[in-house]
Amino acid sequence: MARLVVLGGGVAGHTTATFAAKWLGSDHEVVVVTPNAKWNWIPSNIWVGVGQMTKKDVTFDLAPVYAKAGIDYRQAKAVSLNPEGSESSDKPFVTIEYTSADKAGETENIEYDYIVNATGPKLNFGATPGLGEGSQLGEHTVSVCTADHAVHASEKLQEAIEKMKGGTRQKFLIGTGHGMCTCQGAAFEYIFNIEHELRKAGVRDMADIKWISNESFLGDFGMGGLHMKVGGYVVSSKLFAESLYAERNIEWLIGAHVSKVEQGKVAYELLDGSTGEETFDFAMLIPPFAGVGLKAYNKSGEDITDTVFAPNGFMKVDADYTPKPYAEWKASDWPRTYQNPTYKNMFAAGIAFAPPHLISKPMKSPNGTPINPTPPRTGMPSGIIGKAVAHSVCDMITKGENAHLHEASMAEMGAACVASAGKGIFTGTAAAMTVYPVVPDFEKYPGTGRDTDYTFGEIGLAGHWIKHILHHLFIYKAKLNPGWTLIPE
Amino acid sequence: MIKEIIKYPTPLSVEYAVDVRVFNNELFALIDNLKDTINENNLDALSAYQIGSFYNVIVVKDDNDEFVEMVNPRLINHKGRIITTESTAYYPGKTAQIQRFETISVVYQDRNGNDKSLQARGDFSVRIQRKIDYTFGATFVQKMSKEEKEKFEKSLENGINTTNADYCPTVFFRDKILKLINVVMFFMLLPLVASFFIDNEQTLQTLWSYQLYTIYGVIGLNIIYFFYAQYEGKRYVACSSCQLGNIVGTTAISLVKLFVITVASYFLLHVR
Repeated sequence: MARLVVLGGGVAGHTTATFAAKWLGSDHEVVVVTPNAKWNWIPSNIWVGVGQMTKKDVTFDLAPVYAKAGIDYRQAKAVSLNPEGSESSDKPFVTIEYTSADKAGETENIEYDYIVNATGPKLNFGATPGLGEGSQLGEHTVSVCTADHAVHASEKLQEAIEKMKGGTRQKFLIGTGHGMCTCQGAAFEYIFNIEHELRKAGVRDMADIKWISNESFLGDFGMGGLHMKVGGYVVSSKLFAESLYAERNIEWLIGAHVSKVEQGKVAYELLDGSTGEETFDFAMLIPPFAGVGLKAYNKSGEDITDTVFAPNGFMKVDADYTPKPYAEWKASDWPRTYQNPTYKNMFAAGIAFAPPHLISKPMKSPNGTPINPTPPRTGMPSGIIGKAVAHSVCDMITKGENAHLHEASMAEMGAACVASAGKGIFTGTAAAMTVYPVVPDFEKYPGTGRDTDYTFGEIGLAGHWIKHILHHLFIYKAKLNPGWTLIPE
Repeated sequence: MIKEIIKYPTPLSVEYAVDVRVFNNELFALIDNLKDTINENNLDALSAYQIGSFYNVIVVKDDNDEFVEMVNPRLINHKGRIITTESTAYYPGKTAQIQRFETISVVYQDRNGNDKSLQARGDFSVRIQRKIDYTFGATFVQKMSKEEKEKFEKSLENGINTTNADYCPTVFFRDKILKLINVVMFFMLLPLVASFFIDNEQTLQTLWSYQLYTIYGVIGLNIIYFFYAQYEGKRYVACSSCQLGNIVGTTAISLVKLFVITVASYFLLHVR
């Protein structure tokens, strides 16, 4: 009997663990280690953050689902990896620290035959002074990265709305809280939901709304932008985004690295080297992501973290990490199997793998501060990668360690993105976009690097319906309800 | 080399504007061609897109009439707004009122790939903004207000979006079917109103039977709409598959309306 340990229970980890448990059956063991008691459909946190959904709507308890799937669930966080075992045993193991109320703080070594690192990101609030401490959100701003953060954001939003109803003008600052953030799409969706809610509450005229981000142009979204078909016409995501901001009277400041957050104001540095300050009454700033800080040790207990992980804490996989100038970036630099090059029984899925380089054009200020979006690896790509990794591990367990590995390169997969502007079934204007491939392939598709037949967008009500459908469909799938395997990632 | 400036109604390009990744002789030649073309045509600025290149490159004359070469320009910050009357070489002889930023901060690269930045105000700022529009595949039309755009479109013989292979119409025949459905359903409301003024049971039953035939008819029209709309969408490769969502939704809304009318008819005409 082989044991697969999956670290993390987000989109990637949950997908890997549930498919592996299904394919392996009771002949082998699947263990999930995740510090959270609940699964969270993160895209809907946006609606929690504006009070249109509750935490209960976007989360469910993991324990009964894993019990149903025959998965050994440990509510704990991974602390370190010993891929070569210890001096007394050759069996690799992971050290975990329990976070559940009954065993909080207890540690345990879990031996494994295969391990998948799907820990997701550490929300690195601490990277920007004043934004927070370590992975803890600070007191000056709000976030929608977790369901609890979103509930807090919604409460603060209601307070701001009450103030506006009382005649006090409020300034909203939404965007990214560091020059190396990703997830611009989430902030983009949140700002338009905020605008919609303020309009609904009848206080839009009392609000100044401003976008601040590390993108060098509106509509970059961490993917270097895209050209899409909107209503049959080819439009750059820059024009698409610019028109949305203009129509809704939302100001913007881009190419910005937020360098410090204080009560009611942020300090920033721009790509041209200039610095400035922006005031706010309500700010939602996405933090940068980092690896969760897993350590790795060899058989004799020496620290080999640098061998297993990239400097940003994400796990090295089968990517080409050779530093190259922008002009030489290739689709083939991106990983295909997500297998660690040193330890073949280790894989990474979702945000936890180290990307070889950015997708957007790399940029820095004259002071040397890098200000550019980092590659998004959330949602659809996370699910697809998680399933491919589960396939590979299952084949290695059942067919032998030299089994052919399954591939899911982000340079060969598409992704869909729906940015709502409200939650209405009959009113609203969501932006629905698909992009193929996520990572541009300049050799295959000269020019934009993308297949414009499969890269398109629509503004309209259909996006709201799609978002509603995805919400229910993916929670249904994650709960492993009948037919869950038929729902694609 | 002097290049021909693409002018309306020729579509600007079949390609899409993209960033320059390699700084080589091809780029230098492109920049020189832009300058030659500006001088020949007595212009103050030109984007590579306007002479048929898909690279994000613009050449703009500053307030001292000196050329500023900008590769991969990005407008990152702005202050103030002004309304300007603009013309562009793409629409010869046409002008339009456009809202622009008064002062802008731009980052860009020079021909050797070095990072540069500048702040511009007034006419120079407007010229740069106009050309940056082109780098992402647009013209000043996309910056017009709705009213200005409608006015401008009327002044163009072939409309703003000139026909090409990638064209997806914005008005379909299926919209006529939808209009017919809505008109029929509007007339279905009339017997409901009339029922409040009719006491004769037999007349009400007759109206109900007519209403029933109409209900079947509207269901039929919805089925026709649903399938024809998909057929029509597929005739144009440029029409995205997201249309399916809108078609399903439109049909669903129409059927919900019909359901409400049917229920009201049943109680007001049939079992009253």
